[in-house]
Amino acid sequence: MTDTESITQAEASSERARRADGPTAGPVDQPSALRLHGITKTFPGVRALSDVALDVVPGEIHALVGENGAGKSTLMAVASGALAADEGLVSIAGTVLETASPDEARRLGLGIVRQDPAVLPDLTVAENMAIGVGYRRVGGLRRAVAWAAAQLEPWGMGIDPTARVAELSVEQRFIVEIAKALALDPRVLILDEPTEHLSLEEVQLLFRRVREVVAGGAAVVYISHRIPEVKEISDRITVLRDGRVRGTFPTPEVDESQIIELVVGRKLEAVFPEKGSVAGTVGEAERLQLVGLSGAGFHEVSLAVRAGEIIGLAGVQGNGQAELVRAIAGQQPSTGEVRIDGRRVGRGGAAAAAAGVVYVPADRHREGVFLPLSVGENISAATLDEVAPAGFVRERRVLARARDMIERLSIKTPGPRVPVAALSGGNQQKVVLARTLLARPRVLVAEEPTQRVDAGARVDIYRILREAADDGAAVVVLSSDGVELEGLCDRVLILSRGEVVRELTGDEVTESAIATAALTATTVRARESVEHPSSRVRSWLRGDHAPAVALAAVFLGLGVAVAAVNPAYFSAFNLNTLLFMVAPLLFVGAAQQVVVLGSGFDLSVGPLMGFLVVLASYWIVDGGNLYVGLGLMLAGALGVGAINGLLVTRFAISPVVATLAMFMALQGLYLQLRSTPGGVIFAPVSELIQARVGVVPIVTIVGVVLLVALEFALRRTRWGVQLRAVGSQDAAAARLGIRVRLVRFGSYVVASLLVLPAAVVLMAQIGIGDGRPSISYTLSSVTVVVLAGTSIFGGRGSFIAVLAAAFLVQQILNVSPFLGLSQAWSYWLPGVVTLAAAGLYAVLRSGGRPRRRRRGAAIASPGGVA
Amino acid sequence: MTIADRSPRPPETSTTSVQVPPSARTADAVWRRALSGSWVPITLATLALFAVSPVIAPGSLDAAPLLSMLPFASVLAIAAAGQTLVVQQRGLDLSVPGMIALGAVMATALPQQYGWNPWAAVVAALLGTTAFGLLNGVVVGRLRIPPLVATLGMNAVLLGTVFAIANGTPSGAADELNRFALARTFGIPNTLLIAVVAIALAAVVAHRSVVGHRLSAVGVSEAAASVVGIRVGSYQVAAYGLAGLCYGAAGVLLAGYTKTPALFLGDQYLLPTVAAVVLGGTALTGGIASIAASAVAALFLTQLGQLLRSVGWPDALQLIAQAIVLILVVLLRELVPVLLRRRATRRLAAQAVSR
Repeated sequence: MTDTESITQAEASSERARRADGPTAGPVDQPSALRLHGITKTFPGVRALSDVALDVVPGEIHALVGENGAGKSTLMAVASGALAADEGLVSIAGTVLETASPDEARRLGLGIVRQDPAVLPDLTVAENMAIGVGYRRVGGLRRAVAWAAAQLEPWGMGIDPTARVAELSVEQRFIVEIAKALALDPRVLILDEPTEHLSLEEVQLLFRRVREVVAGGAAVVYISHRIPEVKEISDRITVLRDGRVRGTFPTPEVDESQIIELVVGRKLEAVFPEKGSVAGTVGEAERLQLVGLSGAGFHEVSLAVRAGEIIGLAGVQGNGQAELVRAIAGQQPSTGEVRIDGRRVGRGGAAAAAAGVVYVPADRHREGVFLPLSVGENISAATLDEVAPAGFVRERRVLARARDMIERLSIKTPGPRVPVAALSGGNQQKVVLARTLLARPRVLVAEEPTQRVDAGARVDIYRILREAADDGAAVVVLSSDGVELEGLCDRVLILSRGEVVRELTGDEVTESAIATAALTATTVRARESVEHPSSRVRSWLRGDHAPAVALAAVFLGLGVAVAAVNPAYFSAFNLNTLLFMVAPLLFVGAAQQVVVLGSGFDLSVGPLMGFLVVLASYWIVDGGNLYVGLGLMLAGALGVGAINGLLVTRFAISPVVATLAMFMALQGLYLQLRSTPGGVIFAPVSELIQARVGVVPIVTIVGVVLLVALEFALRRTRWGVQLRAVGSQDAAAARLGIRVRLVRFGSYVVASLLVLPAAVVLMAQIGIGDGRPSISYTLSSVTVVVLAGTSIFGGRGSFIAVLAAAFLVQQILNVSPFLGLSQAWSYWLPGVVTLAAAGLYAVLRSGGRPRRRRRGAAIASPGGVA
Repeated sequence: MTIADRSPRPPETSTTSVQVPPSARTADAVWRRALSGSWVPITLATLALFAVSPVIAPGSLDAAPLLSMLPFASVLAIAAAGQTLVVQQRGLDLSVPGMIALGAVMATALPQQYGWNPWAAVVAALLGTTAFGLLNGVVVGRLRIPPLVATLGMNAVLLGTVFAIANGTPSGAADELNRFALARTFGIPNTLLIAVVAIALAAVVAHRSVVGHRLSAVGVSEAAASVVGIRVGSYQVAAYGLAGLCYGAAGVLLAGYTKTPALFLGDQYLLPTVAAVVLGGTALTGGIASIAASAVAALFLTQLGQLLRSVGWPDALQLIAQAIVLILVVLLRELVPVLLRRRATRRLAAQAVSR
């Protein structure tokens, strides 16, 4: 009897179960909570789902199991409207989901907790939850904090609703996601690998909540590849393999080994090559030794791996496994020793690579492959020297080697010159492994090597890993898939809280033993929320408002110091000048801030001021028409903002390039209009603009009030929350239903409108139509924003800090003549201050949690990335 | 009943991979690659421009206008090579004006105001801008300050330095330098010779050498480059340093050619370098870059300017024309792949329907 035969039988039995006696299924004619019918979905190169049917009835917990790449997540993306199927029907609570729309699915009563939730890291927990469930349910932004606290209370994780999500631990973020989904009172709740990040206690808490949910008549789809857990919680189990349903069973009727067999599709031996420890190919020498290795997330890890041996690392996610693996590969700082063949390896990725460590990262797109480069270049990337005699790369050798590897690893590609981006996930991973094999690793470190890889490629990948070991490498595999570890590894080490707590060898290496060991080892995780006084200071320093206080102190200190040298500094005249000169900076700084908060950049603010002044100089003159002048300025500002916004959002041009072109075009325009200064501004208008109360100009008061109002809007209005959301993570914001393009377009228009008052003040200051003095305001606006501690990647910043920064910048410009500094200092000071402030904030903030953020975020994506 | 009974189904194949016809995604990727880092479109555009030049402005391809245009094209080409290196690292160098100005002022003010040997001053100018370039690289690569902020701040620092060295007044270039910049060897302007040699050298190193390939890898993805054991930070610092050297060379040549360079003569070179890089097909998303194509684009832009000037456009309008050309080219490169993808998707959809 072969395994495949047994499976078909199982499918037949499941048919019976579905028709007759699903345990908690109730009457057959009751409408399903979730019904998927004939779902087919093809990605380039891979058929992800074929003719999948799934029927989930109210009141049941329906488990969906399958290996990496079996199609579970794709299926749930289709069910939740995030992905359109090629064929088939989705109906939720009896209503057909007509178009693939997450909003529509949510409206019909579907809640989903994704493995990679849409999170806005720079926003607070309460704001995230309010955006996720809709402001109405929360009762408006003002009540969001209390509402979020109430939702989180049953979980007892000590999550502060006003904390920034970026500051939360992984499991806390996950709890926030689950609380968010439950708050919608879903009729179907989909949980995608919910326990990956949770300890045993938290898992039990989750199970209790899940049972409460189904007791209330809802249905739960529970996706997991942890079989024991599935056995414990579910009523029925559907097995998915290679994008097809392999059967649906009442949970009590199948045991773990049967499920595993269905999941894998044949006996484990058919998928996995023979282990080295069985074949006797494991060498005697300890090839890789870790001696007291410590780093962020793990400490004092000592272990040894012999040549020809594959060891697995397992544990509840976030217990230091990933960090340990990265430290071995030199991708993360560590203390202690990594030894290869007894020789100590130096620090850093280059030293590790030179010593023969080759790393296969989990995040394939970001770290694994060079997406736009060709397959051939990717394959030779780690061993360029071998194809480059005398330092020059021979194209022919690169191609020859690539063809050889394509053949050997059966990589499906049209040829070695094709960009690796065009390959399927499994074939991209094979390219990574081809590169790895060519480097002849002495130590091969692989992190989740089969994640998002189709089943066929997985078998090949196991074979490749085994071959590398047989060729003498010590192989370390980190995987969250217990079956994979069981099939592949000679030994498995369980990590908990950054330490190795169990070692499984020989017959002990089984899926269930790994899962049990991982869960029982991790009872209560050491929470990092213990408040140290010093960490409080640090976290305040990293907050949005600390810069304002610091800048104000420096502003006052500098003023006092200069006055001590030269008392004339505090004269009414000088104070008035200082306060009047700061006004345009306030407006233009605020303008730049708005754009940067939405993770954009506007270089054109300076010349826009000049352009508007020149426009005004034709009408706001003696005998002209003030209103026409102002109208022209307004139209100019609006037009420039709209063009910038359109170029960046509609045409997806990098904001820097778009606004740099605008910078030049505006410069050309005002030079064309007034190649020499001309058009004296009507004196009464100038005087009106310079009106003051005591020594304080009214425009400066207006500027301060405007910035305070903007700060309020940023925190308390939907516009502010959405702007920060878009800046924080535009793809996540789009998934949460925020219209990313519109918000971003708006930010450019608002910025240009804020430049308008700056231009009005500048007009009064220079008194004549001349654009040239405006150029320096572009740098000033950036200086102000950087000084204010605004994240240049968007999402976080404070207008109060901009206020303080503008005053400080003007103060710095004002003091140089009082200190007798030469004119060169008027360039040096802003430049040095900008660089120093950027450097200081970079150092301060790098002390936070590591955030994997795409660099080059200033290049805006068109949004709507699902 | 167990799940281990027999049935007649044939053994499953182990893979779900199906043969898909060249998909929309592949077509897109191929086109993006064809349009990025390729010298073909810009070379064709440049040839076309030279072909129509005599039609628009008779006599514009005579020796005299060409000989007056080529030195400026050479300067721009060298500066654009530097910008290409920075853009390849996903940066955008806003310190070009300060760098060119520093190169020019050191080459001129050091001999005139401080009595240096002119050639020593030239070497100092090149070393000075290289040092500032390396500083840019350290600030970006090591301190992790976004390139935009770093180079914008550095530009102000450079302009301050220019001001301080020049004591606020422009100096004249030494006669030796001036003569060299104006001279011709075998009838070819020296500036052009230098540009051609420098660009050829840079292009060969960038495209063929291990260092060039690694620079490209770091530009595509720092994380992936680090994984294959490339010293990411060092390569970034080197890229900015080499860029500084290019700007310095451009500044020195410009100073020699114009005899008495204005203090801030670099200001008008920022946009053209970016435009040349974009026109040359270097991807703003990093990695794929072509120095030679940027140089051809520099020739294109300079000839375009010359042509507009010969039909009477003032310099102010030239700025606008450059901005428009830049945006149009970016739009074209952004839109062509999108349109092609749409067509490919439609074709696939049509196939699916007919099946």
